[in-house]
Amino acid sequence: MAPLTIQQATKSFGGLQVLHGIDIDMNDGEFVVLVGPSGCGKSTLLRLIAGLEDITTGEIRIDGKGVSRLHPKDRDIAMVFQSYALYPHMTVAENMGFSLRMRGESAEVQRRKVEDAANILDLGPLLDRYPRQLSGGQRQRVAMGRAIVRDPKVFLFDEPLSNLDAKLRVQMRSEIRSLHKALKTTIVYVTHDQIEAMTMADKIVVMRGGHVEQIGSPMTLYDAPANVFVAGFIGSPAMNLLTGRIGADGRSFELAGGGTIRFDAPLGAAAGREVILGIRPEDVTLAEDGSPATIKLIEPTGADLHVNLDVSGTEVTAVFHERLSIEEGQAVALAVPAERVHLFDPETEARIAGD
Amino acid sequence: MSAQSHPGRQRTTWLIFIGLCLFTFVNLMPLLWAVLTSLKDPRDAFTIPPTLIFEPTLKYHIEVWTENDFVFYLMNSLIVSAGTVFISVPAGSLAAYAISRIPRRSAGPILSALFTIRMFPHMLLAIPFFVMGTFLDMIDTYPLLILALVAINQPFTIWLMHGFFLEIPRDLDEAAAIDGCSNWQAFRIVILPLAKPGMTVAALFSLLLSYNEFLFALVLTGTDTKTLPVAIAAFGGEDISSWSLSAAGAIGIMLPIVVVMLLLQRHLVRGLTAGAVKG
Repeated sequence: MAPLTIQQATKSFGGLQVLHGIDIDMNDGEFVVLVGPSGCGKSTLLRLIAGLEDITTGEIRIDGKGVSRLHPKDRDIAMVFQSYALYPHMTVAENMGFSLRMRGESAEVQRRKVEDAANILDLGPLLDRYPRQLSGGQRQRVAMGRAIVRDPKVFLFDEPLSNLDAKLRVQMRSEIRSLHKALKTTIVYVTHDQIEAMTMADKIVVMRGGHVEQIGSPMTLYDAPANVFVAGFIGSPAMNLLTGRIGADGRSFELAGGGTIRFDAPLGAAAGREVILGIRPEDVTLAEDGSPATIKLIEPTGADLHVNLDVSGTEVTAVFHERLSIEEGQAVALAVPAERVHLFDPETEARIAGD
Repeated sequence: MSAQSHPGRQRTTWLIFIGLCLFTFVNLMPLLWAVLTSLKDPRDAFTIPPTLIFEPTLKYHIEVWTENDFVFYLMNSLIVSAGTVFISVPAGSLAAYAISRIPRRSAGPILSALFTIRMFPHMLLAIPFFVMGTFLDMIDTYPLLILALVAINQPFTIWLMHGFFLEIPRDLDEAAAIDGCSNWQAFRIVILPLAKPGMTVAALFSLLLSYNEFLFALVLTGTDTKTLPVAIAAFGGEDISSWSLSAAGAIGIMLPIVVVMLLLQRHLVRGLTAGAVKG
């Protein structure tokens, strides 16, 4: 258990800079998820923390101690790889106890610690098997076991669930979360899946193009995304981002493509100002006195209805939790509470705090 | 559809089978000829048409193993081969591992350079080696021949092992580093055991090359270190009456290699097919 601080970290490969001055503070025992699209630098940042890549400039501190120039083995970290990286010629027990062996622990200590970790992860009956004899989920658990056995200051997870099928992924997600609750160790977890980020994290770091776009709790990022990128990235289905201007009355939004959406209260930006308006699909409701729209497509998921609405040529996605009697082509009226609307500046793409 | 295509497929399989049998037969002909000649009296060995029914004799096999210093030359060959394998494979593996772990941009030119060395005619290398050997007063010593064979063998060993190391994910090196291994420990404890099938293949190829090598052995050895291929060549010459002896010598030279091949067959097949199927 230890806090982890990254200060002004940059990384360049030759002339290509992939991380641009990253600053992150991770508290002791916090579950921090680095999330972003492919190529955003999240895995590189994790590898910098692990010591698998050399930091170009900046500093990484674990438990207050600068580790930027230390060998991975001296950083007191454990890492779970996307490919699990289990040693194929070693049994599960040997895999899990390998770091202890390298540390020169006695056979008795190795056995006890491996058995303890195996009990936590329900791996007891598999200790004598080889990785090739295990299923994907079991391999994943062994990889976690190998990390737990070390009792490190920080756990690093590099997209550990991406090789698992959807059902197992959900199961392993809760297992990792429970594990974190039990061990209370600082975790840095990399994923490109925002659902994973939302469900597991205490703190999410959204990255793009080697920059941090926003750091905050899952609900902070959901309720108050700092910019258009975070707004579009967090949430599924993605937030509707509509271009246009605030109406003369301050309570309506004139879509760039034509048409108007009316709201029940002022939108919090000056009348006539050009903005990007963000509406979460789940904030859209149908109301008799709402703005006119036509239903283009209905996608029932079982629990919800995903509906694509056409508002004067602009597509708006809505999610309804209730079972509605609607059909494609039907004319409806949509309503969105003004306090649920997000406004962004079209130039800077930053959130507008309210004029 | 499968019922219609089945007879056609079967016919193709048979044609391929017959073709491969013919190919194998043609390839084995010299060996068969050597075996028969070694069992024949020289008078029977050169009758036209060749006789298949003759009175077999082990006289020449016994003569090869008991006279003509065959065992002495065999020992020379084994010393040179073992020396070559024990230097070439570890050194080649280390080089190959290093090349497999550097960026492809840098590895490419190194591998191309090695390939060029491999394409170099050995005859052109034999002369400088002879000059250097004379200068260093090492002609007719084991180290000179072993070093020369390591030099010509190394590019192939590195190429072969490079392929094997590339198939071992880098994540394993990194996991080992995080688990507390130095680079050397990661190589020795984690990577090397996984490369064992590849090393077996590399060792066998290295053994075959050094055991059968003729040109360097002819140029660089003398009475003390002459190896079997050079010695056997002297058994025959133009004297037809010695050809049965020469053939028996050829069979004798093959036997150690056949034994090694049979012992390592399992590893050899695994090594040659490694990476063919994703595990």
